[in-house]
Amino acid sequence: MEDKKKVSRFEKFLTREIGIEFKACLYFFAFLFFYCAHRLIFGQNDASILHMAEMILSCYGVAYLQVYVFGNCDEADKLGVREYLGFFICTLIYCMVSFFGNWYEKSISSTLIFAGYILFMYLCVFLIYRVKRKIDDKILNADLKQFQKEHKKVNDNDK
Amino acid sequence: MFIDIKQIPEGEESVVIRYRELSGKINKIIGILNDDDNKIWGRVDDENICIETDELLYLESVDEKVFAYTKDKVIRLEGTLNSFMNSINDECFFRCAKAIVINVNRVSSLKSLSSNRIDATLESGEHIIISRRYASEFRRLLKGDR
Repeated sequence: MEDKKKVSRFEKFLTREIGIEFKACLYFFAFLFFYCAHRLIFGQNDASILHMAEMILSCYGVAYLQVYVFGNCDEADKLGVREYLGFFICTLIYCMVSFFGNWYEKSISSTLIFAGYILFMYLCVFLIYRVKRKIDDKILNADLKQFQKEHKKVNDNDK
Repeated sequence: MFIDIKQIPEGEESVVIRYRELSGKINKIIGILNDDDNKIWGRVDDENICIETDELLYLESVDEKVFAYTKDKVIRLEGTLNSFMNSINDECFFRCAKAIVINVNRVSSLKSLSSNRIDATLESGEHIIISRRYASEFRRLLKGDR
């Protein structure tokens, strides 16, 4: 009975993989937005499938790096050296892929703006997770108080 | 241990316990006879003490020894965390890590951490981290869905 409640290794792996999948999709859509906006600004109405394939593959690769090497830096409780290093290295990888993959016609200024956009996005994701945890704190503490109220009643009745 | 059981046709029922040393086993028997469901026996500095389970903040297993913590005492208990959980049969005690059991009634606040972990602050101000493995079950317990 107790064993059924325990999370198996496979379930742990699956949970982590789903997290990576979610992360990769989140960043892919954010990059796609920037990419499309960039192309529209420069008068192009089409998007390259090859660029999109590069985006999603790089997003997957970097998501693995974020989770396994930088301890999920964008979801961290607070920002430390490891987190800043994670943001910097991941941004560098994306910028290199975008530059050599010719996403922005090898424009240095566009690549730098893209780097700023990525860092801003990381900051937003970090803040969003923080707000989410604050809301979760409130729910948890409300549930705790309710539990204590109910169990105090039960214990008092027992006595 | 020699057990002598005699049936008596009339008169008051009685139980006599003769012991050389007041061990955990003896304490347990006394506890059952006293109907002390909400009390446990343990040792503090070679002295046997009986304490209400409500007073416990958390229990910890260190090197196969179980220690129960109250606001001002550390009590060495007989047995394992599993045996404690089986004997206590109280929802207020929750296993939040492999070697730690907390008394949910003695948690003053909870804080959600990254990777679905939970930081439980006890009334003593101590922090116990509920690992991801146990956090989902803990949330279910609080919601009464367990």
